[in-house]
Amino acid sequence: MSMRAWLPLLMVVLGLSDVAWAVLRVQLPPADFTFINETEVKSLDWAVVTGIPEHRIVGNIFEGLTRLDAATLEPLPGVAERWEISDDKKTYTFHLRKNAKWSNGKPVTAHDFIYSLQRFLDPQTGAEYAYQAWYLVNARRYSLGEKGLEPGDSVEIELNERPTGARPFARGELLHGKLVRVEGAEQDRVFVVKIDGRERKFRTGEKGDEAAGMEPAKQVLLDFREVGARAIDDYTLEMRLENPTPFWLELLNYHALLPVNQECIETYGSPEWTYAENIVTNGPYRIAFRRIRDRIRLVKNERYWDKQRVKLNVIDALAINTQVTMFNLFTTGKVDWITDLPAIVLRGLLKSGAARDELDPKPYLGTYYFLLNTRRKPLDDVRVRRALALALDREEITRTATGAGEVPAYSLVPLGISGYMPEQFSTENVREAQRLLAEAGYPDGIGFPKLEILYNTQQAHQTIAQLVRKQWEKNLGITASTRNEEWGSYQTSIRQFEFDVARRAWIADYIDPNSHLDIMVTDGENNNTGWSNAEYDRLIAAARAETDENKRVELFHQAERILMDEMPLIPIYYYVDKNMVKSDVRGFYRNPLDQHPLSAIWIDEAAAPTGGWGRRTASPQSIEVGGPAEPRPLPPDVRE
Amino acid sequence: MLKFIFVRLLWMAITLWVVFTLTFFLMRSVPGGPFDSDRRLDPEIEQNMLRRYHLDEPLFQQYLRELGNVARFDLGYSFKLRDYTVNNVIAEGLPISAALGILALSFALTLGLVAGITSAVRRGSAADLVLMSLATIGIALPNFVIAGIAIILFVFLIPIFPAAGWGSLSQVVLPALCLGAPHAADVARITRTSMLDILSQDHIRTARAKGLSKLRVVWGHALPGALLPVVSYLGPATAYILTGSLVIEQIFAIPGLGSHFIEASLQRDYTLAMGCVLLYTVILFTMNMLVDLSYSLLDPRVELD
Repeated sequence: MSMRAWLPLLMVVLGLSDVAWAVLRVQLPPADFTFINETEVKSLDWAVVTGIPEHRIVGNIFEGLTRLDAATLEPLPGVAERWEISDDKKTYTFHLRKNAKWSNGKPVTAHDFIYSLQRFLDPQTGAEYAYQAWYLVNARRYSLGEKGLEPGDSVEIELNERPTGARPFARGELLHGKLVRVEGAEQDRVFVVKIDGRERKFRTGEKGDEAAGMEPAKQVLLDFREVGARAIDDYTLEMRLENPTPFWLELLNYHALLPVNQECIETYGSPEWTYAENIVTNGPYRIAFRRIRDRIRLVKNERYWDKQRVKLNVIDALAINTQVTMFNLFTTGKVDWITDLPAIVLRGLLKSGAARDELDPKPYLGTYYFLLNTRRKPLDDVRVRRALALALDREEITRTATGAGEVPAYSLVPLGISGYMPEQFSTENVREAQRLLAEAGYPDGIGFPKLEILYNTQQAHQTIAQLVRKQWEKNLGITASTRNEEWGSYQTSIRQFEFDVARRAWIADYIDPNSHLDIMVTDGENNNTGWSNAEYDRLIAAARAETDENKRVELFHQAERILMDEMPLIPIYYYVDKNMVKSDVRGFYRNPLDQHPLSAIWIDEAAAPTGGWGRRTASPQSIEVGGPAEPRPLPPDVRE
Repeated sequence: MLKFIFVRLLWMAITLWVVFTLTFFLMRSVPGGPFDSDRRLDPEIEQNMLRRYHLDEPLFQQYLRELGNVARFDLGYSFKLRDYTVNNVIAEGLPISAALGILALSFALTLGLVAGITSAVRRGSAADLVLMSLATIGIALPNFVIAGIAIILFVFLIPIFPAAGWGSLSQVVLPALCLGAPHAADVARITRTSMLDILSQDHIRTARAKGLSKLRVVWGHALPGALLPVVSYLGPATAYILTGSLVIEQIFAIPGLGSHFIEASLQRDYTLAMGCVLLYTVILFTMNMLVDLSYSLLDPRVELD
C-alpha cells in the first residue's frame, strides 16, 4: 500500500497514543478536608485582594494581631497576646507574644506589622482596600501620596536608588524633611523640601532637571512616622486612631491588616514572593502548592504558635464556581463543604428536609436592595420613593425567587448585630402606597413615567426584577421594564447614574451598623443614588467620634430613621448563608459574617459520613506534600 | 515547500498585528475596566491603581507600550490572577486543554470515520439510518445537554466515573466524550458525503473491475480522497478544541484555557484576554497551514505555492 493509504491509519494510531500522553499528572493523595472556594484567588498578597475566596485562603495562612472566635466572632488574642486601650478609646497598645514565628522560623515582631502597614498604605502597592486602615491617624493622607501633602508637613522622599546593601526589591533610599512649598502644575510638581537645614528640590520620575537643581525621586509622601502606628520595642506596638472605633480589634483580623514578611517580599519582589516555594507566612496553615483554576493545597504550619489547636493536616481549596458541579462533587463525597448550590436544588432540599444535617441556612449581615436614582424625576419625590417601597410583597420574592429562607428586609442594616435593632420602615401597605402616589400627582399611576429596573445578568436577579416589576404594575398601576447588563457595563451605568432603579447588595465587613450606614453619606463612593442629607452626614460623623456606646447606637438609630424616611433605596431581603457541610464536620459555625476559620474545623471520625458513598477514598492519614520536613521540634507554646 | 511555509509565517505575523490592534481598541472601548467591583473604589485609590498599571496614560501610548511588550513575547501580568503572568497562565492551562482536546479529537475521529465509512458503504441500510440519525442528534444537541445526560448516566445511575476534576484518566473520559461528540457527528456526516461522492467515480469502478476486494477498494482507493474534506474541517476544529471549551471545563471543573478565555474578556482582564486571542490566532493559523500541507500528501493534484 502506498503511504497515502496508510495515512488515515497513522492518524488514528497517533490520536490513540496521545491518550497516554493526556494523563499528564499523577493523582494526588487525598486531603483531609476539601472545600469549594468558588473563583480562583486573585492573589495571595492580602494587600491587593478584596474578595471572599481570597479571604478564605489568606485569612488562614496569615495571622493578625487578633483572630476571631469561629462561633461568636469575638476578637481573641492572635499574634498579640494582650492589649490595652486608652480611656479615650483611641490608643491601642499591643503586646506581642514571643513565640509567634514566621514559617521560616524567625519571630514575628512589631516591626513586621509596621512594615506591612507601610506597604499596605503605600500608593505604589495599589491596595484597593487601603481605606480599611484609614482609621489610623494620618493613614489616609499617607496613602494619597503627593496629593495628601501640604506645605509644613513632614515628608519622606523615596529615591529611585536603593540604599547600598539593601535587598533587590527593598524600597528606595528614604530622605526625611519638611515640605517648604510645592511648585509647578498638576502633572509636573516640584517639591521643595528642607533637609538638614538645606532646601532641595525633588521631582518624581526617572530623571531630574540638573540645570534647575532638581533631583529625581520615586515618590514624595507624608512621613510614615506621622502615621498612628509605631513599634515601641520588638514586641510592643502602639496604634493611634482618628476616632474611637469599637470594631478596630475585629478589623485587625481582616485581611487588610495582616503582617507580611519583609525579608521575603524584598528578596523576591511582587508577585514572585507569593509563589509556594517563596512565600513566608505566620498563620495556622501554609501553602503546599497552587494550580491555577484547580486547587490550592494547604498544609498545617508546624511552626504556628498554637498548632495544638489546629486539627486538619491537609486541606484542599478547589476553584470551582459552577453551582451544579459543586453540588455533584458534594453528593459524590468528594468535597466536605460547598458555599453555594443551585436554587432549584436548594429549594428541593429544604422542602423535603433531606439534608437537614448538612444544610441549615442562617442569616448573616448582608442586605439585598434596590437603588433609586434620586437625580431623576419622579424619583426625586420622596412620596414616590416611599410608595415604591410600600407597594412590594417581599414575602412573595423570598418565597418564589430566592428560596433559602431569606428574611424580608425593611431596613438597610441587617438584623443580627447585637445591641442594635435596625430602624425598619413600616411593612408593606398597598393602600398607603397608592395614597402617596396620588399625593405626588399620579393617582392610580396615571401619568407616571415608565421605570426601568437595571440588574447584572444573573438568573436570580432577573427573577427578582421581574417580580418587582409585576408587583409595581399590579399595585400602583405604573409601568416598568427590566434591563440586564453584563457586569462591567452594569457597574459603569450605575456610576454614571444611567438608571432609574438598580439592584444592589451590601455585606458587612465587621459587625457594626457603621458598615452599612457609612455607604450612604453624601457623595460616598457606594451611595450611587445621588441622595444627600446633611443631618444624616452629621449623625454618621458624630457616631464615629462618640466614645459612649449607648449614645453611639442612638446616633445610628437617628441616622437610619432618616434614611428609611427618605428612602433613597428599597431594602428587599437579608441574606442567609447557603453553606452545605458534611455532617461529620465539627467546628463549623454559621455566624453573622459567614466566616469560617479553617483552624477551628475538625472531623468527627465517630460520626457517620453522609451522602453518596462515604467521605474519603483513602484513609485520612495525613500526607505531607511539598516543603521540607520540619527541622526541629518547637518549644511547647505558652498560652496566657 | 519552504517558501510556502515562509510566506505563510509572514502572513501570520501581519494577521497577529491586525488582531492585536483590533482586540486592543475593542477591549478598551467597552464600558467598564479591570478594577470594577461590587464596591466602588475611592477615587484616590483608583488613581493609584490605574497609575500602577499604566492605564492612566493616553490610549495610543498604552497601545505602543503593549505592542512593544507583545513583540518581545512578554504578555505581562494578568489583571485578575495577579500572581501570574499571562505566560504562566497559558503554560498551565494549554497542556490541560490540549490533552483533553486530543482525546476528544481521537474519539471524534475514530467514531466519526467508522460511522461515516460504514454508512457510505452500506448506503440506505438500517445501519446507515441509525448512524446518521445519531449524527444529526449529536450536531443538534449542545455540549451542556450531552454533559448533563452523561453525568446522570455515568456518575449517578451507573457510578463508574467521578463527577468532576482533573488528574486521573477516569476524570478525563467523560469530558472528552462530551467535547468530542458534536465533532464526531460532524466528521461522520462529512465522511459519508465525500465517500459517496468518491465511490461513484471512475477510478473506483476500475479498481473494482480489477477484482480487488471490497476492503482494498475502500481502504486503499476511496478513503484517501474522501479524507480531504475531513482534513479541512479538522484544521479549525482542532484550533477550537485545543484552546478549550468553556462549557465542558466549567461543568467538569477542568483547569484548562477555555474558562480563562471567556472570563478574561468578561472581567476586562486586558492582558489575559489579549494573550488568549493571540494564542488562538497562532493555533488557528498553524492548523490551517498543516491542513494545506497535508493536502499535498493526500491528493497528488494539489501543489503548494
